[in-house]
Amino acid sequence: MNSIEEFNSLEKKESYYPRLVEELKRANGEFHAFNLINEGIRAGFPFSAKDNICVRGFEATCSSKILKGYVPNFSATAVSRLGSAFGFLGKTNMDEFGFGTFGINSEEPARNPFNSDYVTGGSSSGAAAATALMKYHVALAVSTGGSISSPASFCGVVGYTPTYGLVSRYGLIDYGNSLDRIGIIARSAGDVRHTCGLLRGTDRYDSTCVDHNVASDGKKTLFVINQLNEVLDERIRAPFESLLGKLENLGYVVKRVDLDIIGKAVGIYYIISSAEASTNLARYTGFKYGYQYGRFTEYYNDFFSNARAEFGIEAKRRIILGTFVRSASVRGKYYDKALRARRLLIDRMKGLLKDGYIISPTMPIKTPKIREVRELTPLQSYATDALTVPPNLCGFPHISFPFDYIDGMPIGAQIITDHFNDDAIIGFVEEWERHFKYRFKHNLGAL
Amino acid sequence: MRIGLEVHVALPLKSKLFCSCSSSAEEPNTAICPICMGFPGSKPMLNERALGIAKSIAAALNCRLNDFISFVRKVYFYPDLPKSYQITQIGGAVGTGGYVQTASGRVGIVRVQIEEDPARIIRGDDYTLLDFNRSGIGLVEIVTEPDMTDEGGMKEFIIELKSILYYLGVDIDQEFKVDLNVSTSGDRVETKNVTGMANIVNALRYEIKRQGVMASKGQRIGMETRSYDEAGMKTVQSREKETEEEYGFIYEPDLGEYDMRKVETETAVYASRIAHEYAKRYDYSESTLRELIMFNREALALIDGAKGGHRMQNIVNAVELLIKYRKTGINGRDFESMLGLVENGAAVRKETIEKIERGEGISGYSAVSEDEVNKEIADIIRSNARLLEDYKRDRKVLNFVIGRVAKKHNADPRYVSEQLRKVLRDVFKVE
Repeated sequence: MNSIEEFNSLEKKESYYPRLVEELKRANGEFHAFNLINEGIRAGFPFSAKDNICVRGFEATCSSKILKGYVPNFSATAVSRLGSAFGFLGKTNMDEFGFGTFGINSEEPARNPFNSDYVTGGSSSGAAAATALMKYHVALAVSTGGSISSPASFCGVVGYTPTYGLVSRYGLIDYGNSLDRIGIIARSAGDVRHTCGLLRGTDRYDSTCVDHNVASDGKKTLFVINQLNEVLDERIRAPFESLLGKLENLGYVVKRVDLDIIGKAVGIYYIISSAEASTNLARYTGFKYGYQYGRFTEYYNDFFSNARAEFGIEAKRRIILGTFVRSASVRGKYYDKALRARRLLIDRMKGLLKDGYIISPTMPIKTPKIREVRELTPLQSYATDALTVPPNLCGFPHISFPFDYIDGMPIGAQIITDHFNDDAIIGFVEEWERHFKYRFKHNLGAL
Repeated sequence: MRIGLEVHVALPLKSKLFCSCSSSAEEPNTAICPICMGFPGSKPMLNERALGIAKSIAAALNCRLNDFISFVRKVYFYPDLPKSYQITQIGGAVGTGGYVQTASGRVGIVRVQIEEDPARIIRGDDYTLLDFNRSGIGLVEIVTEPDMTDEGGMKEFIIELKSILYYLGVDIDQEFKVDLNVSTSGDRVETKNVTGMANIVNALRYEIKRQGVMASKGQRIGMETRSYDEAGMKTVQSREKETEEEYGFIYEPDLGEYDMRKVETETAVYASRIAHEYAKRYDYSESTLRELIMFNREALALIDGAKGGHRMQNIVNAVELLIKYRKTGINGRDFESMLGLVENGAAVRKETIEKIERGEGISGYSAVSEDEVNKEIADIIRSNARLLEDYKRDRKVLNFVIGRVAKKHNADPRYVSEQLRKVLRDVFKVE
């Protein structure tokens, strides 16, 4: 029985939801998982939405000052599709507009429920932290380059990123439209399976959303890509090798293969995602919603430039980078070339994925402290996306799941499969969960 | 001198290009939604009816038609542009490499593309208003080669283009907007957003004169972007200008590719070509025919239906009477009756036409025996074996029979028409 069915079968007092809200508010003072808590929740299995997913009548800020006060008058399709069996609990913290790997690009970064000195991962930082805090809860999270896998791994929860196009993006505030995916962070693969079934299906409000059968074509071969293994921190490599041993005992066959082009993925990703992001962020002029600088009597150029000064440093960096790579004189060298390289990478990875899954640790490093990642240069930070970027760039479904604990902190592995074979890897993680028990430090809302 | 145009016309669509808002609301800012306001979280959804119309236009302008089309984002900051980018096309346009034939030559068409209109800006003395009803309305942009060499050639092109668009159902009463490119010296000067023929001609004349004066003083003209000052009837230097470099086009990732191969097109009608052909075939004035049919579907249909059985002059006179009396929607049979009167030299007044339409008898016709009329009708049909075959495809084919028989006996064409139907049914077994 998944925790959603369990929750629904249990007797709940009238005071359940107000008490949950009170506990959550207290915990949020320490962990900053939520940007907004819905005190009005009175029924349903609690779910949260990352703060870039629109919920009608609730502020959607993307953790950005420039969107302060933006209250959408429509809900994302994913939110509507959950239906009345789910109750909206609040909006979760994130890196501003999704720009970040650790959750620190937010005014008040979310903190890891296992130890609040440590990062949660990002950019769906609050979604993963909230999941690690609460016994009964699922999070709608969003991935562009690894924003579901990364925090799921650091917070010791399950993060599912579906095939691109399987879940409508309508109501998701765009970062990189050709990459953005709404997915699920939960405490078990069973909860993921239950929830994702509700979200899938075509939507006339999102042209890229397709009606496609989802397969459950289980594989027995696990590909380990040598070029990805090389970037691992030693303290990650050893437990990962022992995970592979355990999986071999379960009947899986591990094959080590070369895939040269995968080393280019991070570069390709930052070109395409920044190019798209810089156009998506162009609309924030402080004019019709969100942060308004000064009065309408200003010259338009001054008016919007002053408002846009409020973007955080990473958002500004992506706008500048993205605007550069799509400028006419260099577009061929960067943007167009990156699009071609992406196609090539999809073909190469697809070649492997017809015969097996690709497996790796989710993150190449141990969970860092918040203090430590503040010291990283942008390039050092981007380099930690090496393992999560390839499936994101190519639209492949993938799941990060906890497989070990070192120094009291969880570490996760990431399993990737071919397009529309999502249910196979959900099944893979369900099988893993029969042999490995996840640990949680908090169980808010337990019954 | 070389003149090139970028012509923008609104697509005849009831709703906007990327949302279901009405495209014809009048009260400002009432036909708006999260999509056409560019609210964060919204996505465009293409009104696929735009594809058929744009493809028909591209085909009519002799373009190569792309099997797959895609959209791009053109980024610039202006208060009328809610997303700070316009969804338009370049490489994946609907059609490329076409031409429009005019009397003074061919004007090349670089491409035909679909794009969205920005909001309307209304400027007052000390304020600016924005009406987002226009934001997201579907446009087609037609980009020409700089193939026009003088004012006359440009006017000819515009009239020809408007006529082609008119016959494809594109509302030409909505004045179309052009960006006018004029180069007298090699440097291209673009004047943006000139609306309507009179302004386009004035902007062109002003540019020719301005560039001429500069050249005579030995000044370099230089590439630049200007705008048109309607009140002053002159072009002025634009304060803002974007370059191709700054637009930073990227592929529109929210829309993907559209397969155009199964999109059906409407057949183009080239009224100027028809006028030319009929003028030759019926030895009649081309300019009179052009004037009648370039922007008048009904006139063309009436002339087409009657052309075999009557003199062109009489047909034209009858059509002109209809135009004079502002009578529309007359059917072919009533028009035959009317032509009968015109041919007899009878005075046709507005009341006469209305009487015909009400089916009331019109004096002046002779009584003719049914047998005689029927025999004559049958003889004409028998004399040309193909007529019946053609009739099955096009009912207008036999209209000339009515005209010929009615004329010979001075009979009421309405009566002849009824007899024709009987003969077809009883003798030839055709309904």
